[in-house]
Amino acid sequence: MNAAAVGKAYPEASFTVDPGRVAAFRGVFSQVGGVPVTFPTAAEFTVIPEIVADPEVAIDFSRVLHGSQEYEFRRPLREGEKLVIKSRIESIRSLGADSFLVLATELVEPGGEIVCTARSTLIERAAD
Amino acid sequence: MPSPVQVEAGSELPTRPRIVYAEDVKAYAEAGGDANPLHQDEAVARAAGFPGIVAHGMFTMGHLAASIAEWAGGPERVRRLTSQFRAPVFMGEEIVAGGRVKSVDAERAVAVIECWVTVERDGRTEWPIKRGEAEVLLGE
Repeated sequence: MNAAAVGKAYPEASFTVDPGRVAAFRGVFSQVGGVPVTFPTAAEFTVIPEIVADPEVAIDFSRVLHGSQEYEFRRPLREGEKLVIKSRIESIRSLGADSFLVLATELVEPGGEIVCTARSTLIERAAD
Repeated sequence: MPSPVQVEAGSELPTRPRIVYAEDVKAYAEAGGDANPLHQDEAVARAAGFPGIVAHGMFTMGHLAASIAEWAGGPERVRRLTSQFRAPVFMGEEIVAGGRVKSVDAERAVAVIECWVTVERDGRTEWPIKRGEAEVLLGE
C-alpha cells in the first residue's frame, strides 16, 4: 500500500436509494421497515472496487481484511432518493507490517447537505 | 419501543442469535454489491488460509444493526454505529448479537450502546464484532 495516496478523492458518483435493493437488504436481515443502518455500504461498494484496483494506492487485495466500519447519520436515508457519493482516502498508516487504510464516503443531498458518512478500514496484512 | 424512563445505563439489550448459511451470505453479496469470492467460493477461501467460506464482516454487522434497530424501534432511530471485526465467521455457525446501555442522555433522548457479536467455536467464545458502539434516539 502506498501511503502517498492519502487524501486522494475519487470522482463523485450518483447513488439512488433503490427501493428494490433496500427490500433485499431488509430481507437478508429480517427487518420489517425503514432503510437498514448498514445500507450505505451499498454506496461504498460503487467506489471500493476502483480503489482496490487503483495502482496509485497499490493494495494487494489477496491480503485485505475489513478491519472496522462506522456510520454516522444526520438523518435516515429515504427510499427512492437520489444522493451523490463522495469518497476519499482519509488516512493510511502502518502498524508493524500491516497497513490500515480508512476510506471516508459521504452520501450527500443534491443541495450539498451530508446525510450520512460511512468509514471503512481496510487492513492489508503482512505478506507471509 | 424503549423510552428514556425505561432505559438506564447497564440495561442489557435482548440477544439475537442467527445461524449463518451460505445462501444468506450469497444474498447479502448480491444486495450489498460485495462480490469478493472469499465469501462464496470454497476454493478461494481455502487458498486464503481459511477452513471454508467466510461470511462478510458486513453480514455480521448487518445482523447486529438489525438487532439494535429492532430494540430501538426502527433503523431510523440509530444515528451512529461502529464495529471492529475481530474474528471470521464460517458457514453453519451461530452468531449472537448483544449489547448493553452505556449511558443515557435524558435531555437529548439519546442512549449510547456498547454492542458485540459472539460465536462459540471449539469451546471458546470468539468475537466477530468487538467494541461496537451505537447511538440511538429514544422516546416517541
